Amino acid sequence: MSTTITVNGVVHKVDADPSTPLLWVLRDHLGMTGTKYGCGVAQCGACTVQIDGVAARSCQAPLEALAGVKITTIEGLSADGNHPLQTAWVDLNVPQCGYCQAGVLMAASALLKDNPHPTDADIDAAVTNICRCGSYVRIRAGIHAAAKALHAQHKV
Amino acid sequence: MNAISKLDRRGFLISALAVGGGLSLGVIPTGAQALGKDGEPCEFCPWITIAPDDTVTVQVPTPEIGNGAMTQCAMTVAEELNCAWPTIHAEFASTNRNFQQQNVYANGPGPIYGFFAGRSTNAGRLKPLLQAGASARERLKTAAAQAWKVPVSEVVAKDSVLTHAPTGRTLRYGQVAARAAAVVLDKEPAPKPRSEWTLLGRAAPGKLNNAAIVRGQTQYGMDVRLPNMLYAALMQSPVHGGKLKSYDFEAIRRMPGVHSVVVVDPSEPRVKLPFDSPLPMSTSTAQSAVAVLADHYWQARKALEALPVVWDDGEGARWKSTEQLQDAALAVCESPGKVMLTRGDGAGPLTSGEGRLVEASYLTPYCEHAAIEPLNGTALVTADRVDLWHPSQQSQQAFCVAVEESGVDPKNVYVHQTFVGGGFGRRVFGNDVRMVVAVAKKVPGRPVHVIWSREEVMRQGRYRPMEAAKLSARLDAQGMPVVLRARAAGNGHSLTGLQDSVYAGGAIPNVQMETAVMPIHILTGPYRGPSYNTNAFFAESFIDECAHAANIDPLEYRLKLLAAWPDPHWAKCLKEAATQSGWGQPLPRGQGRGIAISNWSGGGKPNAGTTVAAVARVEVTPAGVLTVHQVDLAVDPGGVVNQDAVRAMMEGGVIFGVNMTLNEGLTVKDGRIVESNFHEYPMVRVAETPTIRIHFGAVSNGERFSEVGEAPVGPVGPAIVNAIFAATGKRIRQTPLRKQDLSWA
Ligand code: FES
Ligand code: FES
Repeated sequence: MSTTITVNGVVHKVDADPSTPLLWVLRDHLGMTGTKYGCGVAQCGACTVQIDGVAARSCQAPLEALAGVKITTIEGLSADGNHPLQTAWVDLNVPQCGYCQAGVLMAASALLKDNPHPTDADIDAAVTNICRCGSYVRIRAGIHAAAKALHAQHKV
Repeated sequence: MNAISKLDRRGFLISALAVGGGLSLGVIPTGAQALGKDGEPCEFCPWITIAPDDTVTVQVPTPEIGNGAMTQCAMTVAEELNCAWPTIHAEFASTNRNFQQQNVYANGPGPIYGFFAGRSTNAGRLKPLLQAGASARERLKTAAAQAWKVPVSEVVAKDSVLTHAPTGRTLRYGQVAARAAAVVLDKEPAPKPRSEWTLLGRAAPGKLNNAAIVRGQTQYGMDVRLPNMLYAALMQSPVHGGKLKSYDFEAIRRMPGVHSVVVVDPSEPRVKLPFDSPLPMSTSTAQSAVAVLADHYWQARKALEALPVVWDDGEGARWKSTEQLQDAALAVCESPGKVMLTRGDGAGPLTSGEGRLVEASYLTPYCEHAAIEPLNGTALVTADRVDLWHPSQQSQQAFCVAVEESGVDPKNVYVHQTFVGGGFGRRVFGNDVRMVVAVAKKVPGRPVHVIWSREEVMRQGRYRPMEAAKLSARLDAQGMPVVLRARAAGNGHSLTGLQDSVYAGGAIPNVQMETAVMPIHILTGPYRGPSYNTNAFFAESFIDECAHAANIDPLEYRLKLLAAWPDPHWAKCLKEAATQSGWGQPLPRGQGRGIAISNWSGGGKPNAGTTVAAVARVEVTPAGVLTVHQVDLAVDPGGVVNQDAVRAMMEGGVIFGVNMTLNEGLTVKDGRIVESNFHEYPMVRVAETPTIRIHFGAVSNGERFSEVGEAPVGPVGPAIVNAIFAATGKRIRQTPLRKQDLSWA
């Protein structure tokens, strides 16, 4: 049984049980391993992607629910790894092991799209990912830095 | 392998051979690779190759678990090589080559034991890498001098360019690499003195792999993809040490994608390692297990969930509850244990001394590492070769375990180290490698990717041990301790953090420390700051209790204790953290500050290890809701080679310490671990992150560059409970704090 889904603008036909979570479809069927497994129960956010622009935990999204939606993964966040968040992450040396960061970036980029000037409280509410390495101080700083950079871009 | 080159007299190999390893995917044949032919990189020594396009590749034995060890090794080489930073790349050194070429990587001064583990700045690593960089640089200069027919003293090497100073002629490193790699120097250059370093201690580059991380391109163990690969979902005996009784494959045989069921039997005979392992192999023992193999992981996992399995729980099932374990441990502390340390009249009666007797018992629980990348690994085993792709924290241990579990000739065992999604000690001992190879060898010729579900990771840990301790002190008339007695009990613990504390090391004249190991089946292992993470909590809570009994400010009390300590930077750390935190300034009701100090890996000696002092500011509502507002941490690791990297480790270490103290603690029921996932084992997130301020004002700039990852985990917890005491008058002697009653008023 095959299902058609759109990931980063590309249409894929996937042969998998309709109940298979998007997380495993991406990783095992489409070979897109940037989206990570951390818990499988909507807790950690390592699997965060965007579904129609909204941050979503892909371990909770069954394949059968995804026809007709637009999925964006870390691989599709920017053309050259130059999204302001990615730049800020490198500049501020945000990642430690890095395993959680794709999910964090997808949550943070969804936040910035809706809210170009997030407060600390906005970040607290929107970025609920677990980073066991404890990079939270820099995650917060990185989001603020990216918001500033975006603002400067728009002014130009 | 037929062409192992000779080691030169200083152990730096001039080799025409590159043995596959590092990150490369696919099966890499071993064989000779000609020097510099067809644009290939030229090998200067096992650590360094330089390509015609100037790319410098450094072979790094330390896995990259998030602490920047990989980048640090490259930075150390660059200090002497004088190459442009953007030309630097790093790969993981081959443990196979290390085996075949007699410890070609693990031959530095210092213990071989941890050489392939996560450290990067100890002398045993800095020295060989600085030397390798210096040697390669001089050989590049010599090659350029030969090309120009000028004295080598007239050649300058900088930013990957060789310049003939008198004429201004230039050559790039890559242009002379082939010739330089063949140069044999009459005399090895001495690396420059530390005072002349331009990169180490001065620059603070970010991790080399950041750009790949933010694109989702980093290959962790979980991301290994090989042709024809099977996925395996693993389940080990829910009670550690139990045995598989039966399972019913027929019940799942026809589920989609299912390939087979594989059993791991720890009692199956295994071959002995054909060489002396530099590492303890007993830590990697297999557990009785069953694994379902399928075309995709989700299929394997669903089928495993549906598989009827019966276990014989064994001995461990006698522990009915956490309380039963805790009570037993506390009871053990009431009788003498094995004496580990006696100083002065530490064994004498606690009745001497004019001041008060202070006594308190403490308890810390089993904790799980919970690295965000679940345990996993991929192996392809055939009759005469093993390839293992693994997120190991100790790739030499991984190599040894893969050899032992497969029985294959070590010459034909290849560990392909991947990036690691967090270690914290969990991936050091190689039991994960053992299980991966044990499963894969049952399906020879097919790569098998074995994955622990989060639930399996949580219940099959090698946990931070549960530990109980009873501390007693007799104070003198001024309130200072004259006798300190400590007794600890648990399984898998040591007295690190107590035995090597400044209090045992001379600050208190009479000390005795005892320990008792209880026969508990729950498996334990190193967890960020092994034993130190618990014992520093005991020691620094207890000293606070003594200060309170003496009616002396806790900062002042510690400074008094440290007055005669020959390393003044301990007191400096305390003062720095205190001053920066606003120590002594009034706070609203319900808030308080607490202080603590500890040292990781200094062995109780002055000017050794990493000293850290922390001040926590907390708020407790009358109903008992705790908020940690701020942590100020002052650190002295001796010297600092990359301040931003140290800062990152401190920030993360504070979070780790906060989480361990507030949230972490496993519960036991009928010998099984109850918690399954993060909803039952909560983690601090951005919203609960306190303001964290790291202070470098107490850095001694001493000889050593001590490891920094573990240290911050020590003082944070006791600083928090001491702050709770300051805020509420309530002394909490047990973690996790979320399960304690903090209400007051
Ligand atoms: S894997 Fe989906 S939230 Fe953790
Ligand atoms: S960087 Fe390691 S879990 Fe976030």
